[in-house]
Amino acid sequence: MTKVNTVLGTIPAEELEIVAVHEHIGYGMPGSELDTTWWKSPEQAYEETVPKLRKFRENGGGTFVDATGICNGRDVDYYKSLSAKTGVHIVACTGFVGGDTALPHFSRATVDYLAKVFIHEITVGIGNTGAKAGVIKVGVSRGGRMTDLDRRIYRAAARAAVVTGAPILTHLAIDPEPAVTIFNEEGLSLDRVLFGHADDGLNAPITPHDWIYEQGGRIGFDTFGYDLELPDPPFWGRKRAERMEHFVNLVNKGYADKLLVSADANCSPLGWPGVKGHTINYIFEDMIPDMRTAGIDDATIKLLLEDNPAEFLSLQA
Amino acid sequence: MSHTPPVAAGDTFHAPTGQTVNTVLGPIPASELGVVAVHEALLSVIPGAQYAPDISMDRTEIFEILAGKLAGFREHGGRTIVDSTGMFHGRDVKLYEALSRSTGVHIVASTGMGPEEMLGGYFLTPQTNPPTPWPAGKFADLFSKEVTEGMVVPRVERRGAAGLVTTTAARTGMTPTEESLFRGAARTSLKTGIPVSIRFGADALHDLDIVLDEELPADRVLVGGLDRKDADSAALGVAGRGAFVGIDNVGLNDHAGYLTDHDRAELVLGLVKAGHADKIILSGNSIGVAKGQPDYDLPFSHVVSTFVPFLKAHGLSDEDARRILVDNPRNLLTVR
Repeated sequence: MTKVNTVLGTIPAEELEIVAVHEHIGYGMPGSELDTTWWKSPEQAYEETVPKLRKFRENGGGTFVDATGICNGRDVDYYKSLSAKTGVHIVACTGFVGGDTALPHFSRATVDYLAKVFIHEITVGIGNTGAKAGVIKVGVSRGGRMTDLDRRIYRAAARAAVVTGAPILTHLAIDPEPAVTIFNEEGLSLDRVLFGHADDGLNAPITPHDWIYEQGGRIGFDTFGYDLELPDPPFWGRKRAERMEHFVNLVNKGYADKLLVSADANCSPLGWPGVKGHTINYIFEDMIPDMRTAGIDDATIKLLLEDNPAEFLSLQA
Repeated sequence: MSHTPPVAAGDTFHAPTGQTVNTVLGPIPASELGVVAVHEALLSVIPGAQYAPDISMDRTEIFEILAGKLAGFREHGGRTIVDSTGMFHGRDVKLYEALSRSTGVHIVASTGMGPEEMLGGYFLTPQTNPPTPWPAGKFADLFSKEVTEGMVVPRVERRGAAGLVTTTAARTGMTPTEESLFRGAARTSLKTGIPVSIRFGADALHDLDIVLDEELPADRVLVGGLDRKDADSAALGVAGRGAFVGIDNVGLNDHAGYLTDHDRAELVLGLVKAGHADKIILSGNSIGVAKGQPDYDLPFSHVVSTFVPFLKAHGLSDEDARRILVDNPRNLLTVR
């Protein structure tokens, strides 16, 4: 029996349908909650979010994996209400987007303590919400190199993944050698790790895609839609055609069974303006048509959006 | 030990009418402050601890503990307590309002943040390329709005005005972002009239000079932690510049890094003798409820009920005792 933790309970992977594997209901850096610049009324937050989830559902989307870490405005009660009212499965994460988003209580903590936190959130629940985390988020801090804190978080995540069977999503796939060493040392199969943002404009040139694949890791093309063609693209944007060309190249090399795709969009950003014109529905409106144009067949598209994520998200303890 | 009951009429000496202090229940006449504990913590939460599965944040339990401690403070003559933890270390404005209403103790809450280690990534590695940490002007704006528009209940609402802006430098020495925090706090004070409370890093006079460099009058600044052993003799230098001298770990007698109360008393009496009685601030730096850190259960009343009588027994005059407990905090906290 396959099991996936969603905010409304554990479900069989067979129910997931199309999965957006790396998204955000709303992301904000820790401390942004103190700056009223970004505050939104609940009316506005729901108004910005519900139509996007509804459209996602209408497009055939089944499951939304929220990759918002513990201190980044993760709001599980809110996710529960969104999921219940839109019918979209929402998977919440434990972990941190990167060491630089872990607040002092966690940044000072030992690997053992961090692992206990992650395991608790996956097996018992997040806070008093009753909802269990379904994935573990880790990441590389700003600066391009894994910091000592990043490494502690990766190691704790690895231990939690081994114990619980939950998969790990990474923010950035740069500097992956220390990560792979840690995962190997902890006895975690790299098949349980999605090395994410391998496609973003800033980091794709310094991400060793082939090496990650050769180690057995999964590769995330999960910033689809942050295109430089947008009116006000973010600094991690990339030319639309270049991203797709890169992606097709990896598919043609036979990597499709290890590739996962998503849009990393914010339904309603919490601590930053967001990127106008980019939503999760880029997956249906632009990414899939572009894939078809580029010659990727429907079986492969199903593999990318349904089979791979179902296998990845299933708890494998 | 005599427990002087609080005087209902409050202190009316040396406090011109119209001067006010910001409390969580609104501005009050400065003359009503009475005996003040200037550097304390009510609910003190290491940032992030509120999300930890092993830490309980039971509001009824927190309220009951704090209410008991505030009642004890009041029984010993305390009238006003300053929660000097800033805006990102567990401050809970609505809880403090309820506590103040329930216990009758005036509560002054603070804005500000620091040291850098305690900041969220929003201020240190913002989503820009490169991720440039916040400059002084942005901190000044953030803190000032907590006075002019009200303190934040994150992502929900603003409430009453902050009465103090507080910041801290790293023990290893002030970092560039901490310099921005200190300058931002000084500008907040200049703009809004609330005082600044700084806790120095490696060098008290250097850190004080950073806020004075913003042309903030020294009598708007409290330099805390001057009973640290590594403060050397900075207390005299701080008083000499005209700033308030925070001897604010009173009651801490078993820490190698701090003076004992015996030595603190000598420091206080020495400052009085040097003519600085009007610059001395005493407090206990106790923690009402600690989360994510060890408890520190010193009663909020320790200064007024134990340490000041000890000072008096060693020659402190009643007049100077009153100055230290009532007049100096009032002069510091009055919005100017």
